[in-house]
Amino acid sequence: MASSHNTHSETAKVEQILTEFFPKTLQIILESRAPCISSRNFSGEQVLSSPSSSSSSSSSMRPRDKWFNLALRECSATLENIDLWRPNYHEPMVVDVILVQRQFGLDSVSASPRKDLVRNLSLKEKYPLSFNSDKDEFGSQTKSEKVVERWMVHYESRKNRDSNSGSRRSSNSTAHTYKKTILLLRSLYAFVRLLPAYKVFQDISSSGQIHPFTLAHRVSSFAEPFTRREEAEMQRFVFTPVDTSCGRLCLSVLYRSSLSDINSEPSTPMSPQVIPEYVGSPLADPLKRFPTLPVTIAPSHGSPSSLPFSRRHSWSYDRFRPSPPSVSFSPSPTHSESHALISNPAFPRLPPSSLPSQLPEMVTGHKDNMNYDEYYPSPVFSQSPSLSPPIRIRVKRLPNGLLQSESAPPSAPIAKLPHSPALSSKPNLPPSPPLKASGAIISRINRDVGPLPAGSAIGKSSSLGRDESQRISGWRVSSNNSPISRSSSRSFPDDLDDPEFPCPFDVDEDEMTDRGSR
Amino acid sequence: MNCEVCQLKELQVEQFEIREVLRCILHTIVFHRALGLVRPRDIDLELFDITYVQCGDIEVEKKIDEKIEQFINWVEKHPNKKSQICLSFYQEKNKQASWFTNKIERFYWEQWYINLHVAQHIKIHSGKTHQQKILVDPGESGLDERSIRRTTLEASLREVLFQVIKFVNEKKDHVPAIPSPDCGVVIFPYEITIPSSSDSAFGMDMIKRMLQTGHPTMLS
Repeated sequence: MASSHNTHSETAKVEQILTEFFPKTLQIILESRAPCISSRNFSGEQVLSSPSSSSSSSSSMRPRDKWFNLALRECSATLENIDLWRPNYHEPMVVDVILVQRQFGLDSVSASPRKDLVRNLSLKEKYPLSFNSDKDEFGSQTKSEKVVERWMVHYESRKNRDSNSGSRRSSNSTAHTYKKTILLLRSLYAFVRLLPAYKVFQDISSSGQIHPFTLAHRVSSFAEPFTRREEAEMQRFVFTPVDTSCGRLCLSVLYRSSLSDINSEPSTPMSPQVIPEYVGSPLADPLKRFPTLPVTIAPSHGSPSSLPFSRRHSWSYDRFRPSPPSVSFSPSPTHSESHALISNPAFPRLPPSSLPSQLPEMVTGHKDNMNYDEYYPSPVFSQSPSLSPPIRIRVKRLPNGLLQSESAPPSAPIAKLPHSPALSSKPNLPPSPPLKASGAIISRINRDVGPLPAGSAIGKSSSLGRDESQRISGWRVSSNNSPISRSSSRSFPDDLDDPEFPCPFDVDEDEMTDRGSR
Repeated sequence: MNCEVCQLKELQVEQFEIREVLRCILHTIVFHRALGLVRPRDIDLELFDITYVQCGDIEVEKKIDEKIEQFINWVEKHPNKKSQICLSFYQEKNKQASWFTNKIERFYWEQWYINLHVAQHIKIHSGKTHQQKILVDPGESGLDERSIRRTTLEASLREVLFQVIKFVNEKKDHVPAIPSPDCGVVIFPYEITIPSSSDSAFGMDMIKRMLQTGHPTMLS
């Protein structure tokens, strides 16, 4: 009896390893491919965002960190997506990394000059998403896509295996399996940084130039086959599969060994098509566009009642949008203005007097997203109450001089802090209970508002926004359970700093209570 | 105990490149052997278009840098030599206490040999007077040559990194169990051996010694 129980629990452990392996793999890949706020080159902000994140997203973030003993950066957009994959380790996972060539227009927004890093980040968050989407009405005309990497993860299970022999050395083999998956992920982590696409990612993430290209990704459980020619251009690297007691875990990648041709000249399946209004519009001038952007968004959310969908968007986008200006631009009236606007809960984004001409486009852009909106009903937000209050509070405080302290670090985000030592030095900042004491909030705000809007509340919200669009972009697998996925992630292992956990599989009541107390 | 050995492809480097090249390789290896909870850090090389990963442990970084400095010092005294840096991982085991000493023995389970050929070339940093002129004078052809050499080295370095990754991937069984998180150690015990100053012909010597001592899998 006991042995069968053991077998069972061992199997459960292996299953848990497998279940975690897929999202972790995805996270490693996307972290170095999907331009997002917390990508490597924004480590400066990340330093700041990470502490706060511990409060806002600790439950979803840190358990995953502990898995495979590999704490990754936060890229909450991907994280959210990753959660969706959880239950499906029986299905293969195919991650296509797509190089998107853009000709002009909106697309360039995402890569516009990074005078203002933070702002640009928010743009980046928003737009890559929409490019990723095939339905993007701006992009579709003017971009060409090329799959530059295809990562494939799948698990081959061996059903017929003698279960006894498996159980005999199961405890041993589970640890062994786990060790091997750790090794596999270590090498994956190093490997993704050696492939040519990483360079593209670096370019996109770090330089201040307008790029005619960006990277998108697509995650699904099947692969659209390559043409023979395409395949001939690619190289394959097969990671050594990890044997488990009941199957084996395989990871491989097809990648283009050279991206130089793609980078230099458009391969144009779609010929460049000039759309006059775009060319002439302020949109074409990123510098002009910057200051007006938050404004641009505003109208679409201006009347929540009439535009229910955009209302939700407003949540997500607005949340991370407002902070960037405050941070990135030197302290000035605009600061408080923008905050004031946001602070008014009734009119979160009051349409400013100068209605930018690009508004229509922007709105359309949103509409595009609306299709997906239904997947992310507002309950998502209400479920995490910590989200909204900080913003309001923060706004209120702004005039009181907090702003000054906040405006000090504007340069920080711009300055590239390459390797974020702080990350390693204090990985486990205590989660500050979001809304208990205003003092705590303020301090948190300080941290947040500093260089990075990706701070706790804002970061989280931004993640929602990004998340949304990421889904649009990357995830063909439609799912309506974002809240669920988030909560599901909570049910997984636990915090990094819990010394009681030798092994992440050991999930028990402790952590549940622990979590509850948080 | 089975000791796996990996001989990494030899790299032709100039003196000023040693530091980056070694850091890159050593950290990459160490990252794959730091199986405790780590928060990796990406490091972009300055001389090459390569990003490598550190395990984020300050002690490790310190130790590696120290060894590299020692190695550079050695190279200065022994120019134009092929040399080898060995990174070994071991486990410590208490051997039967003999008499009054409690003997701790090291069991090496993995060794990585980094092979460098440090060439004596124009040193950019060495002198502003004479050499600088020579450097400048050759003009573009010199620069071209230099950049070609650099590109070649970059490609080779990348290859070495791939070699590390492949090795890690293919050989997993000999890696000991992951240290318990309680002990706070993220990495297996390791040592970095550089040619000692007394040992002038370190490179070949080392190989000879190894052949004599005999590591079972070394020649595989």
